[in-house]
Formats: sequence, C-alpha cells, structure tokens
Amino acid sequence: MRKVTDFALAGFAAICAAFALAVLGGLVVVVAGRGASALDVSFLTGEMQRAGAAGGIFWHLVGTAILLVSAFLICTPFALGLALVERVWWPGERGRRFLRTALYTLNGLPSILFGIFGFIVLVQWCGWGKSWLIGGIVLAMCMLPTVTLALVERLRAIPARYLEAAAALGLDRAQIILAVLLPQAWGGLISGSLLGLARAAGETAPIMFTCTIFAGATWPQGIKDNPVLTLPYHIFILAQDSFDPAVGARLWGAAFVLLALVFLLSLLALPWRLRHHEEADV
Amino acid sequence: MTRAWSWFFSMVAAGAFALLVGIFAWQSRPVWSHEGWRYLTGANWHFRQQEFGALPMIYGSAVVALVALLLAAPIGLGAAIFTAEYLPRPARLAVKALIELLAGVPSVVYGLLGILLLRGWIYDLFARFEPLSGDTLLTAGVLLAVMILPTVVTFSDDALRAVPATQRRAARALGLTRAETILNVTLPQARRGLASALLLALGRSMGETIAVFLVVGRQDNQLPAHLLSLRPLLEAGQTLTTKLGGSETHIAAGDPLHWAAIVGLGLILLVITGGLTVLGTTLGRKSDA
Amino acid sequence: MSDPAPPVLRVRDLAVFAGEKPLLRRASFEVGEREVFGIIGPSGAGKTTLLRALNRLVELIPGLRVAGEVELRGQPIAGLEVNALRARVGMIFQQPVIFPTSIAENVLFAARRLRPLSRSERMALTEHALREAALWAEVRDRLHAPALSLSAGQQQRLCIARALAVDPEVLLMDEPTSALDPKSTHAIEELILRLKATHTIVLVTHNAAQARRVTDWLACVCIRDGVGEIVESACCATMLDSPQCREVVEYLEHTR
Repeated sequence: MRKVTDFALAGFAAICAAFALAVLGGLVVVVAGRGASALDVSFLTGEMQRAGAAGGIFWHLVGTAILLVSAFLICTPFALGLALVERVWWPGERGRRFLRTALYTLNGLPSILFGIFGFIVLVQWCGWGKSWLIGGIVLAMCMLPTVTLALVERLRAIPARYLEAAAALGLDRAQIILAVLLPQAWGGLISGSLLGLARAAGETAPIMFTCTIFAGATWPQGIKDNPVLTLPYHIFILAQDSFDPAVGARLWGAAFVLLALVFLLSLLALPWRLRHHEEADV
Repeated sequence: MTRAWSWFFSMVAAGAFALLVGIFAWQSRPVWSHEGWRYLTGANWHFRQQEFGALPMIYGSAVVALVALLLAAPIGLGAAIFTAEYLPRPARLAVKALIELLAGVPSVVYGLLGILLLRGWIYDLFARFEPLSGDTLLTAGVLLAVMILPTVVTFSDDALRAVPATQRRAARALGLTRAETILNVTLPQARRGLASALLLALGRSMGETIAVFLVVGRQDNQLPAHLLSLRPLLEAGQTLTTKLGGSETHIAAGDPLHWAAIVGLGLILLVITGGLTVLGTTLGRKSDA
Repeated sequence: MSDPAPPVLRVRDLAVFAGEKPLLRRASFEVGEREVFGIIGPSGAGKTTLLRALNRLVELIPGLRVAGEVELRGQPIAGLEVNALRARVGMIFQQPVIFPTSIAENVLFAARRLRPLSRSERMALTEHALREAALWAEVRDRLHAPALSLSAGQQQRLCIARALAVDPEVLLMDEPTSALDPKSTHAIEELILRLKATHTIVLVTHNAAQARRVTDWLACVCIRDGVGEIVESACCATMLDSPQCREVVEYLEHTR
C-alpha cells in the first residue's frame, strides 16, 4: 500500500508536469506552425495593405520598437531612484518592507488600469490625443515594479563585505553607491528591464486607449496626436473580425513575430539571471 | 546629488501611482451618489437608462477566475511537486526556466488561440447542452487556466523548495517513503507559500483583459437567478476587465455619470486585485521569514 | 568477536565517491551485538558520509556513489527494500530535527505508518518510546504541546524516542551531543549506555572523552592522501591510551 502511494504520487506529478509543458509548448508550436508560412522578407519590411489581408507588418514593428525604447528610457531613472532609496536611504526595515509590498502590489495591477489612467491624464487632460509618448509612459509605469524589484534583489544580493570594505576605506555613502552598488546594479537593471520589456511588448490593453491605431500611421512627426501602429493591437483587431481567409496566415504570422520578440527579450535576460542565481548560492 | 535625484524620481513615481488611485476614486464619485450600494449589488447595467449595476460583471470576473483556478491549481501543484521533489537540480532549473519563458506569452496570442481553437472545442464538447456559441464564461475560464498555469507552478515550486532539506532527510531516515515525506512533511510545511501562490494566480486571473475579451462573449446582464447554477458557464458573460476594454469606455467619455460608472468599475477592479496581491504577498513573505 | 551468528553490521571495502572524486575508501569493520561502536576523527574526514552509507541515506544526495558491501545480519543492505532498512537502522542527527507538530505526533511519525495502530496501541507505544528515551517524566503532561517548545536537549531525546518507536535493531548517531549543553550531553550519554542493553549503536563523536565514556570499540577516520580512511580500529581504551597510527596520535593531541 505504501509502495502503491509512492508510485501513484510520482506518476501523478510526472503527468501534471508533462501536461503543463505539453500544453504550453503546444501552443507555441501551433502559432509557429500556422504563422511560418507568412514569414518572408516582404512581410517584415512591407507595410500593411488591405487592412491586413496583404502586405506586411513593418510599421507595426517600428511602432512597437518606438514604444519599447521610450518605455525603457523613461522607466530606468525611476527604477534606479526607487531601488537606491529602498536600499540606501530609507530609514527603517519596516518602511522598506512596505515599499516592497507596494511594488509587488503594483506589479499585480491589471495593465488596463494604467491604460485608462494614461487616457484620462494625458490623452484628455493634457490634450495630447493619442500619442506614442503616452504609450511609452504608460508602459514604463507597467514595467516599473518589475524592474525596480529586480534591481532591489540584485542590490540586496551584494555581499555585505563589499560595502563594509568600502566604508572601511573611508568612502561616504554617495561614493559607496557609485563605486560599489551601481556597477553591480547594471546587471539587475538590464535583466529586469528585459523582463519588463518582454511583458510590455505583448501588452494590448494599456496601449489601445492611448497610443495606437489600426491603420494609417508611420513614423511619428511630433508628440501630440501622433499614434503608432503596434503588433499586439493589430492582432487584437484582426482577431475579432469574422475571418477573411486572406488575413489568416498573416495574422498568425504577426502573432508568431510577436511571440518571437517576447521570447527573444526573455531569453536575453537569462545569462544575467543565471549568473545572479549562482552567486546567491555561494 | 545622487540622493536628491533618487528621492525626486521616487517621489514622482509614488505621486503618479497615488494619482492613479486618486483619479479612479475621485472620478467615480457621481455613480456612488447616484446608485449607492446598488452599484455593487444591482443586476442590471443599462447605460442609456442610467442604470448601473455592476454585479453581473463582478460575478463574471469571479466565475472566470474560479474556473481557471480550479483547473490550474491541481495540475500546477502536481507539476510543482514534480519539479521540486523529483527532479535533480539542473533539470529542475531548466524546466523552471522553460515554464517561466512560456509565462511570457502575450495575452493577445492566447486570445487568438482561444478564438481559433478553444471556442470550437467547447462548442462541440457541450453541443448537447445547446450553447449559443463557443464564447462563454467556461471558454474564458479554461483559457485563463492555461495562462495562469506557469504562475502556479513557479510559485508553488518556490514554496516547496523553501521547506528545509533537513526535514525531508529526517523523514526519509525514519523509513518514510518519498510520497509519505512529500504528503506529511513537505506539503504541510509549505501551506502558506502554496496559499500565496494561489492568491497571486487568482489576482492575475481577475485582472486579465485581452484574452478574456476575445472569448467571453461580452454579453451584459447575464446574472443567473441562482448564483451557484452551472448554466451561466455555457453562456456568454461580461467581466470587469472586458467591460473596461470595450467600446463603452469611449462612448462614456462625454457623460459624467456614465464615465463615473465606467471608472468605478476600474476602482472595484483595483481594490479586488490589489487586495488579492497584498494578501498573497504577505502570506508568502511570512513563510520565508 | 568469534560469534557463530553474523555480526549485526559488517562493512567491507566501503567507498564513497562524489562523481569521480573519492571521499572515503576501503572502510572495513564489524559491529557486534549490543555494542557501542565509536567513530572518531577530525572534521571533514568522512565520518558522517560513512555513517550515512550504513542506512543508504547517501542515496538521497545526487552525485554520490557507493562501492563495497554493507551487510545487516548477513544480508547485503543494497538488496533490502530501502525504507524497511531505514526502519531497522535508525539515525539521530547532530541538530535535532523536529517536525512542526505535537510531541506525541513526532514520536509516532514513522511508527504509525509501519502498521495500523489502535488508539490504545498508539498511547502505549508513545509512552514506551518516551520512557526508553528518558523523556517520559518531563513530557507526560503535555504530549499535545508543540514539540518545538522543548529545549534542545529534550528535542534530541525526542528524536531518539521517535527513532526507537519503530523498534530498530541499530541506532546510528551522528555527533548527537555536539549541539547541546553539558547537562543535556550527560543525559544523552547516560541514555546511550542504557540503550546498549537492547540496541546496537554506531556513534560518531568529536570528543575523545565522550568516546572513552561511552564506546566499546573505536575506529578513527582520518584523511590520508586527500581521501578519508579508517586508519586505526581498536578497542576503545587501547586506541585512546596507546594509539598506533601517526594520524591518530596527532588527532588526539589536538583534542586534548
């Protein structure tokens, strides 16, 4: 009886793991399978024609890239500031814990709320209309908790002996930060940002109110009333329409490209994350 | 200098997030005075008649999230037991990395798969119950289950690994089998962390917009007469997030009361997901204190 | 040692490898009935590894490989069902490992799984095990209190009671008193001397004085050429008073 339970639990656990991997892996296979036929150079470099039934996704890639770059640039100083405040200057462990809980909570907020927020404050109150910059700001807000927490974890992992040695050499707080913390922090910033960007690249809800349209935009000329085309929104709109077979493979192709982009960003973060994992075990 | 800049950016960030919460609270005021508690308990949402009852959407969000959790929890926990207790370290890290990678699949891609695959399956599977279409609360729930599976696995694995090896070793040294050790030593001691994992997964399910939007049918006022009946699973529904993501948000922009009602939904969503996440995080925190 | 029946434990050319690297080599010894067999030596020499090979606990550590033979009453332990083996050969660790439940539940943690026990059997077994471990008097009124509320010395005795509850033939003890204060140490040493009447004990100890007080036969494990090895094995008094091996002499000097 004991042996039966032993075997049964092992079997159950293995089946669950296999199922989970199969389902998740399977969906990637399906997307890749259906989308691969649309992929060629003209798809990636051509612009959309006939509302997605022909042409390519060039401007969508450009728009997504613009959003990601601006989100990264906007997010970085805030994440660094918050992480440094949490590690160095915030008095008291309770306050720090509160700050971290706040960050985890923000991380769990639905991204659509950030989208509506951007809609209210920037699109309407500031009168910017739909603008790529609003998209960057909103995505930066979505990313901020992820990047800040990655930075905080990275900084926490710095062994105390480095900080003690620096203090013993007579460096003051600001110098310690610049000399010891920041250089180590870059790794956390990069890996955290890549993870945040991977998530942001796939977001549709926050951008659909604030910065993207379905057709007609190319390179933004200014800030106000300058929306962009984006991959996720493109897929979102086309997915809802009754199915034009001509759109079919291209829609899957766009999904495949988006998936590849997200995976690429996540995988790029891996070397830093692995290195950090090992150091933590030492 | 660094100090001043760090505080500056932190304050601005804190201010922005505080502003977000403030705006949702402030701009929804009109609907609270108009409807009072009926906003939360009213079963009808007819914006043209200025009647705003959010209960069907709260119900929809809850049902979809619960279905997702009921499906994902056992499978996710089973998979986590496998990675945490049966796999050697290199294999475990590889599998975890793979699952975390798959966690990054964008919700719009899930939505696409939901439309093109899941919808048809559910419709065929339940054909004898004569559903109107494949866009149902159940479809959304099943899709969400797949979406939150990586979250459940990753956090559950962490919770299980947090149980010290000395406990496992002592149990095995007494002659307990591996299964007995897992069931009587590891799982009970990982209770808190596992609960935290489920709460966080629940929070994520309630906040998911795009994938649910594409397969749930977005039909208003679908509150059933009996809250525990199963029929609504096979009918279209509406959740807090899908209403917010729909066209009504643009329509409402002109009318203060309608706008307040929409923003109020956002406030409800904020409170629910925020509460679940705080609960999940603090529970998880205590277990590694 | 010229008993017609096989010795309780016979170890022949036991070796343990971490991958390709040997940790322990050529350990050979025999443990007789109702004997306290002591293993001493410097830290890191491989005493714990040796002990853990005796109940196949080394198998739980990935990457470790065992060669050679260990026999329990003439039967190779590699051929026995591993969980049944571990019920016959119990282990006490250096740090008492207490499960986060009550005292009574800790005592019966393994015993209740070996065969179904009625309520009265459970109570009788709990009392018996706690008495054998010299803990009954101190906890009889609070059997349902959390076991973690006990002092370190009491916790270690609880671990012994827990191991005794499955009725083992052999007890392996890995430095059971190093984490305890002198009073608790004394109590456990007394306990070992009492348990000797009914059980066979293999005791790893850091402390030569403890070995003198408690053990009958000693093996000294030292590092030779980077690998742990039993360098000398003799009757306790003989080893401690007139050690033969250079490494043993050095070790005993250190611990004096």
